[in-house]
Amino acid sequence: MTTPVLEIRNLHARIEEREILKGVNLVIPAGEVHAIMGRNGSGKSTLSYVLAGKEDYEVTEGEILLNGENILEMEPDERAAAGLFLAFQYPIEIPGVATMTFLKAAINAQRKARGEAELSTPDFMRAVKEAGAQLQIDSDMLKRPLNVGFSGGEKKRAEILQMALLKPSLAVLDETDSGLDIDALQVVSKGVNALRDGQRSMLVITHYQRLLNHIVPDVVHVFSDGRIVESGDKDLALQLEAKGYAGFDGEAA
Amino acid sequence: MSVLTPVRLGPAEQTLIAQLQSAGAAAQAERLSGSGLPTRRVESYHYTDLKQLLRSVPPLAGAAPGASAPALEIAGAYRLMIANGRVQDAGTAPAGVIVGRSEGSVLTMRDDVLVRLNAALAGESLSLTLEGSVDPVIQIDRRSEGEAAHSAGSVRIFVADGASATIVETYSGSDAAHVSNHASYISLGKGARLSHIAVDLSSGQATHFATHEYQLAEDAKLHTLAIHAGASLARTQIFARFAGEGSHADFSGLNLVKDGQHLDITLDVNHAVPNTTSQERFKQIARGRSRAVFQGRLVVARHAQKTDAKMMMQGLMLSDEAEILSKPELEIYADDVVCGHGSTCGQIDETSLFYLMSRGIPRAEAETMLVRAFLEELVDPIEDAELNEALTAVIDGWLLGR
Repeated sequence: MTTPVLEIRNLHARIEEREILKGVNLVIPAGEVHAIMGRNGSGKSTLSYVLAGKEDYEVTEGEILLNGENILEMEPDERAAAGLFLAFQYPIEIPGVATMTFLKAAINAQRKARGEAELSTPDFMRAVKEAGAQLQIDSDMLKRPLNVGFSGGEKKRAEILQMALLKPSLAVLDETDSGLDIDALQVVSKGVNALRDGQRSMLVITHYQRLLNHIVPDVVHVFSDGRIVESGDKDLALQLEAKGYAGFDGEAA
Repeated sequence: MSVLTPVRLGPAEQTLIAQLQSAGAAAQAERLSGSGLPTRRVESYHYTDLKQLLRSVPPLAGAAPGASAPALEIAGAYRLMIANGRVQDAGTAPAGVIVGRSEGSVLTMRDDVLVRLNAALAGESLSLTLEGSVDPVIQIDRRSEGEAAHSAGSVRIFVADGASATIVETYSGSDAAHVSNHASYISLGKGARLSHIAVDLSSGQATHFATHEYQLAEDAKLHTLAIHAGASLARTQIFARFAGEGSHADFSGLNLVKDGQHLDITLDVNHAVPNTTSQERFKQIARGRSRAVFQGRLVVARHAQKTDAKMMMQGLMLSDEAEILSKPELEIYADDVVCGHGSTCGQIDETSLFYLMSRGIPRAEAETMLVRAFLEELVDPIEDAELNEALTAVIDGWLLGR
């Protein structure tokens, strides 16, 4: 059997003294798109941060395997070079760092970590221009400091641009639909769908079914109280929308 | 303690007194004998207790035996040199630059110990008169060369009415425990424009003192940047006076402080007439066990209505043992003014760091990016590309620990 892109085994994590992830098990084979749905506070975003390696969280039990390799001991930059990408729910504004400088530094750092040659400036410019066109990102936006003064939609498009340039094997999209109007949602979804190539896997985290009309998942998981409580095909998302989360979290009203 | 108790003098003070006497400055020697060097009880030296920090003073400097390599090369600049306090012969001056020499020092007699020492000990001054639009950057390369020595150097610059120029002063020299006391008196004529940049790159054992006095006539525009990137102990004093209406100045500065260093920038700005504006922007970065000091005082005279002045100090701590001290002061005697100040101090933002690292950028490189970003607004206004590049290299050199 081929190695899945992501395998999470019995993952427990806490922040300070509070346990948030309470035994997550998840397998995403190559090329599949999985959605995680759950109400606010169920631990969905924590899962994305723990995957990316944010320091505030302590993993107390379990394993995360990315392409068969345990990434728990890796720094966030090492995880990125190993093929993980997190599209942030709230991308960070960094004044003083030009967007283009940042993109080039990120691409070349990953290439260096993988033992590949740096991208030449013309090749880099061409790649950014091509990826940007599809996401309606013009050169004016790229001249600004990273995410500074970007609208909600621009920030999300910039995240997808980074994903397109960094070509991860696993993309985690954390509430990518939040703060988007319907037009922006279509642009972003189109950008994401263009990156589905039968090899790249995705984990789409959301609490609205709406996004899943645009990015159609292979598998839908329901997340409640720090673990996956139900899995199914895309119709599960519709059931959730109809019945609410109460029917799934074992503590129905 | 009775006021009559004589001050106990340390070895540094005794040497300074003897040097003042040998220079024929009996009154200054007498005064220093009575008061000693300023301690933390003197408000303007509260964070830089010279009596504690200046343990010894080397002999007065002789002529420089030779020069070390320039600490900062600025392509295309016209370079003038003062070595061990002595004005060196210069090459042919570019159009609009008149170079001369005069006896003695140039600072006004402000009641400050470093000013008094410079006035008593500087033998000659370099004078520059700048007319019209001076094209090349003018570099005043100030050196402390040879064995450890105490030197005092002095420069007077007059930017004529309507003239414009960029001047960079650099301070460097041999690797010895020099004590160097530099003075610059700069006067801007009506409508003159000047960018004045001072970069200390003294050796790690050196003590660096610099005093910059500025006087602005009507409609003059001044931009200043003082960078401390060397020395063991450094203090730059910036004294400015707005003497003509419509004048404006942007004062900025940067303390790059690492283990074992004590670096101080002290600013005193006097808005003496109506309708003048200033912006003060100072940053400090400290790592290791070190101390960074910024004192900024804005004085608005009683008749100086419509003054607009904003002072901001930001500190970035890169270690738990570093100290960043900041003292902003406003002294406002007019009633129709807009004046403000702010001071912040923090560490590298963990959220920004995580974001950069999550894109594959290693921690050290991500930190460097964030520190560069923090400093961006200081270097950004410098239009001359070669100069901008040279200053960026100084900052990068510090960041990368060279």
